[in-house]
Amino acid sequence: MFQPKRPQRELKYEELRIYTDEELNNFSEEELKDFKIKHDIPALEELEKGPWPSFVADAKQEALRRRKLADDRVMIDRYVVEDLLGQLELSFKDGETHWKHGGIVGVFGYGGGVIGRYSDVPEKFPGIAHFHTIRVNQPASMFYKTDFLRALCDLWEYRGSGLVNMHGSTGDIILLGTTTEQLEPIFYDMTHELDQDLGGSGSNLRTPSCCIGKARCEWACYDTQEMCYEMTMHYQDELHRPAFPYKFKFKFDGCPNGCVASIARADISFIGTWRDDIRIDQEAVRAYIAGDIVPRGGAHRGRDWGKFDIQKEVIDLCPSQCMWMEDGKLVIDNKECVRCMHCINVMPQALRPGTDTGVSILVGAKAPILEGAQISQVIVPFMKAEPPYDNVKEVIERIWEFWMEEGKNRERVGELIQRVGLPKFLEVIGLPPAPQMIKAPRANPYIFWKEEDVTGGFTRDIKDYRARHKR
Amino acid sequence: MDEIKKAIVEYASTSRKTRFYFKDMEKAVQEKVPTAKAREIKKAASELINEGTLIYFSTGSTTMYGLKDRCASDEPQQ
Amino acid sequence: MALSTGKFGKYDPQNPTKDRITDIGPRHYWEFFPPSIQKNYGKWLYHEVLEPGVLVHVSETGDKVYTVRCGSPRLMTVHHVREICDIADKYCNGYVRFTTRNNIEFIVDSLEKVEALKKDLSSRKFVSGSYKFPVGGTGASITNIVHTQGYVHCHTPATDASSLVKAVMDELFEYFTGMTLPAKVRLAVACCLNMCGAVHCSDIALLGIHRKPPIIDHEVIDQVCELPLVISSCPTGAISPDKTPEGRKTLKIKVDRCMFCGNCYTMCPALPIADKEGDGVAILVGGKISNSISEPKFSKVVVAYQPNNFPRYPEVVQTVKKIVEVYAADARKHERLGDWAERIGWEKFFEKTGIPFTEHLIDDYRLAYDTFRTSTQFKFTEAAWNVSRAAGGID
Repeated sequence: MFQPKRPQRELKYEELRIYTDEELNNFSEEELKDFKIKHDIPALEELEKGPWPSFVADAKQEALRRRKLADDRVMIDRYVVEDLLGQLELSFKDGETHWKHGGIVGVFGYGGGVIGRYSDVPEKFPGIAHFHTIRVNQPASMFYKTDFLRALCDLWEYRGSGLVNMHGSTGDIILLGTTTEQLEPIFYDMTHELDQDLGGSGSNLRTPSCCIGKARCEWACYDTQEMCYEMTMHYQDELHRPAFPYKFKFKFDGCPNGCVASIARADISFIGTWRDDIRIDQEAVRAYIAGDIVPRGGAHRGRDWGKFDIQKEVIDLCPSQCMWMEDGKLVIDNKECVRCMHCINVMPQALRPGTDTGVSILVGAKAPILEGAQISQVIVPFMKAEPPYDNVKEVIERIWEFWMEEGKNRERVGELIQRVGLPKFLEVIGLPPAPQMIKAPRANPYIFWKEEDVTGGFTRDIKDYRARHKR
Repeated sequence: MDEIKKAIVEYASTSRKTRFYFKDMEKAVQEKVPTAKAREIKKAASELINEGTLIYFSTGSTTMYGLKDRCASDEPQQ
Repeated sequence: MALSTGKFGKYDPQNPTKDRITDIGPRHYWEFFPPSIQKNYGKWLYHEVLEPGVLVHVSETGDKVYTVRCGSPRLMTVHHVREICDIADKYCNGYVRFTTRNNIEFIVDSLEKVEALKKDLSSRKFVSGSYKFPVGGTGASITNIVHTQGYVHCHTPATDASSLVKAVMDELFEYFTGMTLPAKVRLAVACCLNMCGAVHCSDIALLGIHRKPPIIDHEVIDQVCELPLVISSCPTGAISPDKTPEGRKTLKIKVDRCMFCGNCYTMCPALPIADKEGDGVAILVGGKISNSISEPKFSKVVVAYQPNNFPRYPEVVQTVKKIVEVYAADARKHERLGDWAERIGWEKFFEKTGIPFTEHLIDDYRLAYDTFRTSTQFKFTEAAWNVSRAAGGID
């Protein structure tokens, strides 16, 4: 258990590093206070004020660092950060972005992982004439050792802008801004020295992501990291070499609270659930009622909400009204439970998810382009999810096969299901229909009967009909 | 495999579009090689990429394929 | 065993496939877990928020791990990441974690370390005075905003993201460092309708929008774009083939069908859509992704447009603040913003927040009918009397 699919190279920053300690501490606070970048940026400097961390103040630190590094210690323009700030200021002034579409850039053999970007005012901001992004596939649930992060920082300061997103919307570490020339050297060192690959972009499987799961959460109903890692490794070809009609995302949520938003953001959402009973510790229930344990783990500590009221705060809010108090005990009618997590969220020391756990599989979530936003819909109410996940892979591959066959260019799988209808989708995937898949049965009677549904088929003889009915 | 690769190159060289989606390429190949499956076409396309015949063209959100010789670089003129 | 130096490092441009390594995937997660996480993996019993930004997780082994959570600007420099590493090395044996909402988490094994860590984090400020690592973002709070690239890196935005997030979080800072709300409030920013930030299920979503149709660059469109692909990219079929007076192939746009989504520009750089007066921010509220109590739901547009008033977007910021304040004062404990709005009714939402209800907020796209009130169950507000007066129903 918990073994990588191939041996991992152990990383030691001291062995990998590019910059000396002296280079890493190459400016003083005094210098920074007096530092002006080469462009006037009054609007951006306004954003240095206020309590929230200022990306402008931070960017200036890097701008100053790059000013002071020796010529042969940065492989792209040392003014890259200053030019970025300058162009951002110009964008505020113009009310329009100054980036062009990018196209044919990437690392050799990969159809994703690099987003090309060029400034449309390179004469003013030569440092960002090229400003390509690299997506780096994050480790499951984004824990790091500083050796890895420091090495990545050195690589990126030396061969790129030194600007990053921790993390991008889909989960990758985003390295923002380098030249075409540096893409391959970066990829070479990333794979050879950091033992680390790129993430997805374009019509690929996008970098899968997962919640914190069993690493630090009591509610994870399956091993989200293990499953996310396994799927990422198993589908490397799909992640790097595009052959889908459009993007495709997996996300792995350990429970119905949905901390990685799979239900809103993934073409296939894996959401942990259970099919036995919620575990109850009646003594702890009494302690909550008596006020000995703070409800919701103290999430409401900032305000006086009065004494905890189990009736008002838990029982009355249960969406299926399946719980009540009886002789001082909390009773849950588990057959009626819809596993919304509310009672568990409020009384985590008294209630826990069941132990017969697995995943619900939902499909089709996406942002609005083109046919409007969608939230994922249920297709498999419950499924065991244990290594090597062959059952899950089979469902995934059936969905892909159908989508690659029937999907139009730039049509997400959720839109395809809308277009062909859920019944057709279920038939192709090989799943029987169930009321769990719908909110309500259809209200219109326009049913697309098929010939085989109807006794005697569709072929009828008009003469036969006329024998009974005059014209 | 060679047959599929040939069909891809032929489509990529003669198609009205210099950049095209995988699906368009798949349909064109299947006209020539009716037995070709999507997976095989993808494999063949990947080989052509590795040989430097085909290139990827990505908008970030979608990816297209193109014949290297027919797609002008979008690098800024320096 | 060292990162390479020199222009191309160890990469040989003459021989790009030499020693090439591909398809190795991400680093395995296990080695990045602190020992306390490895030891208690899957053994957690419960957790508690001790104070804003500080969590304790209790394991069945008896172990307790403490997490200190702090905000980040998401867009950061390697210099900042190295400072995060310094802190992690000093207090956490070199381990650190990021959350899906761009917060930074430091995990330690004792309350004493929590105190020292908190003190250290709060003392670190940028020279201009803003916090580097504000502690908070737990429980019934407003945690970090998930957002997109904006003018920093995107070619299709209708607004900027990093500056908008900074402006909003400065104003809502007390909600990040406190836990005074009825429930958590999740904010998100996406700078155009592509919604890379998938803001469509957030309690409050700020969305960049365009309001002018694309301009057609007739001179180059035929060379730089695949016209049929552009035509088919339009969700409303507003784009059709055309010829210039010189006989050059181009496109035309039926403006009254344009819904300003910008999908054509995504497909074709010769159709720029961004515009200083046209672009701005829409505000959507009431979405959620959690299945808790109520089902996950979409955010709804409550403000169709506010200007891109860089760099601090005062109109947007004040509207967001107003919504949060009214919700905080009016909602019940555990009630998410969307559940509150539905309970009191959207007519009351507009009355209480003072946000004007306009025709732009009534759906007229596909499936609009689903959003119409088809019952006599509604509440009377001033908006209702306005209609009554307009209809001649009352004086």
